[in-house]
Amino acid sequence: MSLKDLMTMAEPKLDLSLKVLEKVWKYQPNDCFQCLRCTSGCTSLKLLELKPHEIVSLVKLGFVEELVASDLIWACATCLKCKERCPQKATPYDVILALRNLAVEKEAKVPEAYLKAMTTILDTGLMQTEQKVTTLKLKTFDRETLGLPKISYPSERFKSAFLKALGGQE
Amino acid sequence: MTKIAVFWGCRILTAQYGYEMSVRQVLPKLGIELVDLREASCCGDPVKSMNIFAATYLAARNLALADKTGLKNLLVPCNRCHLNLCEAKRRLNEDKKLQTELKPLLQDEGLELTEDVRIWHTIDLLHDLIKVETIKNRVKKPLKGVRLASHPGCQIIRPSELGRVDDAETPKKLDDLMEALGAETLDYSEKLDCCGAALLFSNPDAALSLAGSKLEAVQAYGVDALVDSCPSCHEMYDAKQEEAGKVIGSKLGLPVVYYTQLLGVAMGIGVEKLGLHLNRSPVHELLEKIH
Repeated sequence: MSLKDLMTMAEPKLDLSLKVLEKVWKYQPNDCFQCLRCTSGCTSLKLLELKPHEIVSLVKLGFVEELVASDLIWACATCLKCKERCPQKATPYDVILALRNLAVEKEAKVPEAYLKAMTTILDTGLMQTEQKVTTLKLKTFDRETLGLPKISYPSERFKSAFLKALGGQE
Repeated sequence: MTKIAVFWGCRILTAQYGYEMSVRQVLPKLGIELVDLREASCCGDPVKSMNIFAATYLAARNLALADKTGLKNLLVPCNRCHLNLCEAKRRLNEDKKLQTELKPLLQDEGLELTEDVRIWHTIDLLHDLIKVETIKNRVKKPLKGVRLASHPGCQIIRPSELGRVDDAETPKKLDDLMEALGAETLDYSEKLDCCGAALLFSNPDAALSLAGSKLEAVQAYGVDALVDSCPSCHEMYDAKQEEAGKVIGSKLGLPVVYYTQLLGVAMGIGVEKLGLHLNRSPVHELLEKIH
């Protein structure tokens, strides 16, 4: 749903803004003074209408539920230009990652590919399985036929530790 | 020989074999012995969008594995992994609470974080440790008359507050390394444009459109190839070039190579040893120009 649609019924909830702030480590979204340096250089502005300064502003105002339900937070290309250029250490990039984390916690819609990557990590330790590659001359190769060493995968002990990590931070 | 631990990350190990092959070929010839980490896992990059704490655990785990090798230097050839490991390293250094929380999780596997390992990317390892001069001296087939555009990628140059591989707004190490091979480089306005790879997860058409637009612009400059050093960027520009062309309605045919593949060719290493036969873009057009 577009952010505009979600915003027509919106009610600010400042306690949720605090949840975002907790997740952005030492960065300071509250210090944003809307200079728009982030948005003017945003990779996803033209194609996906992502406006990082609006995201930060909405978080400050308490409209976190709306952002968490919106596709917009998944439109960030994570190019880090906003983080680099922000004069205030408000860093929209970290705010967007925090909102995505909240979306997962609140079981909002998360793009399928992320869930798939997570499943594969739990399964194998890596985010995708070994692929066969086909050349332009239509020959197919894998690690073995290319003479590359076998991958050393993490053991079962890793899986249980990773599950614990996903279970959360005190 | 200097021994360096290497963390490849998922994309290189499972799909971008040309990068791994070329790194394994060129570095030992430049005096670096690579020691693969045992039981390495995902660096945490895709997990960061879902659970920052779990992502930091993954990064810390891989740093602890590097620690276990007893080596002081770690090569991370993937831009996204490089960012994640550097971010986690800094957080662990500055956030004692996080350290305490991660400790028992690492201990489950008998791991521990003790030393500060120095994290390198392929580009700064070649530029700052091996040095441009050394590379120049090893060139057997200079890339004379070859014009190249560089794509440094986003994650190894930003955010500069973290300490990155090159300057955030005017990166030039990759260009220096290309020039060391005798090639001509290009300063162009789309140089810092993002490949879009991260959007494949949520908005594949936008991702392909970003990659396609940059390729179209670079192609119009009339260069012989685009040179990169990140498996995500390379996947977009090389493996997905045809698809990207379709999305933007443009006929693309630009050779795209990893810097280490190009370096290997200039050092006189065979094309198949460098995995160049795996590239999906028309690299033969570039190779025909190198004698």
